[in-house]
Amino acid sequence: MDSFFSKIVELFSTPEYIDSLLHGFLLTLQVSYFAILIGVILGTVIALIDVAKPSKWLTVPKFICQVYVGVIRGTPMALQLFIMFFIIFAVKGFPSIIIAIIAFGLNSAAYTAEVIRGGILSVDKGQTEAGLALGLSQRTIFFKIVAPQAVKNIIPALGNEIITVIKETAIVSMVGMYDLNMAAKDIGSGQNMASYIVPMFTAAIFYLVTIYLISFVVKRIEKSLRKSDLRTEE
Amino acid sequence: MENNTELVIKGLKKSFGGNKVLNGIDFKLSEGERVVVLGPSGSGKSTFLRCINWMEEPTAGEMYFNGELVYEKNIRRIRRNIGMVFQHFNLINNLTVMENLVLAPVKLRVMKRVEAEKKARDLLKHIGLISKADAFPASLSGGQKQRVAIVRALMLDPEVILFDEPTSALDPESIGDVLSLIREVANRGMTLMIVTHEMSFAKEIATRIVFVDKGRIVEEGVPKDFFEHPKTPRVKEFLEKVL
Repeated sequence: MDSFFSKIVELFSTPEYIDSLLHGFLLTLQVSYFAILIGVILGTVIALIDVAKPSKWLTVPKFICQVYVGVIRGTPMALQLFIMFFIIFAVKGFPSIIIAIIAFGLNSAAYTAEVIRGGILSVDKGQTEAGLALGLSQRTIFFKIVAPQAVKNIIPALGNEIITVIKETAIVSMVGMYDLNMAAKDIGSGQNMASYIVPMFTAAIFYLVTIYLISFVVKRIEKSLRKSDLRTEE
Repeated sequence: MENNTELVIKGLKKSFGGNKVLNGIDFKLSEGERVVVLGPSGSGKSTFLRCINWMEEPTAGEMYFNGELVYEKNIRRIRRNIGMVFQHFNLINNLTVMENLVLAPVKLRVMKRVEAEKKARDLLKHIGLISKADAFPASLSGGQKQRVAIVRALMLDPEVILFDEPTSALDPESIGDVLSLIREVANRGMTLMIVTHEMSFAKEIATRIVFVDKGRIVEEGVPKDFFEHPKTPRVKEFLEKVL
């Protein structure tokens, strides 16, 4: 037990270790943030193409989106990361953080697209019919009626997807990137502290707190969006 | 009294995939008429009604509204003149009662927001729901929702209002409220088409009954003849079961 506490003291009193942890954490956050951004934007585009009314302009885009989502969801994230690093971006000197952001962004887009698609499709058809019967345009119906209701269905699942991306970025350590996960392993290794337990638990706490904060924010947003569901008046 | 013909339908057919629901319907509707569409379930009566404002796009046939051929390019404009009240109310869940009423008139530039809100308030006062103006639909009872939905249809001053089983999803107590509001709209001279299972209401309100079976109009006539002296065996059989 003594050595456990002395390890804690050692970790938090060695500036190099703290520095490594924070650097790793920063990389985790950067990769996650930009990947989620790409995921949400690209995922929205894919979802909109997918739910749009079939027309001859959209036949090919719809097909591409379906194949894309199928391939991404049907193969392991780690393999997609390897393909990005060792085949598609196998260029010396290309910044690995960019490759990781693209790999996770493209992956997240497929899942986000499904989340958004499901959210849009779960809006009752009667809501669209009400708009149509009133003579409203498809555009007005989408932006004033369907989208606001879809967002309510989308937010909880999107929160899940964000959390998944943050945790999944830990596999960048497999391609030698120095993220939070890698930092914990490095600090605990033989050349450094020679004990994994404290750095790894510390990394775990970093992940936990981050994800807890995100869930908290998502819950708040959910709650404020649910205003119109309440059976009582405002 | 010579009334204008508002709606002419010729050879209307509708199928969903291989399932033929309407098999050629010819129909005319004149101003001030109140047509109740009756028929067994699965007869296509709701589909018939829903084809009129293209909630379902007809598979074949022609439709003229005030003499103008209806097709996909002008249906949006024509829908403004055809109000619709749905079985499941279809109030817009993310909008308050007031926003439900003013959305279309304002978006379609039929009225300024201030005018629309004034009209909405007057109508809400009239049906005793002004206190719900800022409430969301989820906080209303079924009967209240349907009455708001009827008022929403009135906001655009349509020439016809279609009622698709307006009381089928209601508890017995609120059915009366909704029927009396429909009765009031009828008394103001509004042209109506109603699909319903409320036989006594049909008898009372209709100027004409249309009986649909297997996607065709089997018989039509004024309520007295229809209910007391049905011409076809199919209607006789139907009336024996429901009355």
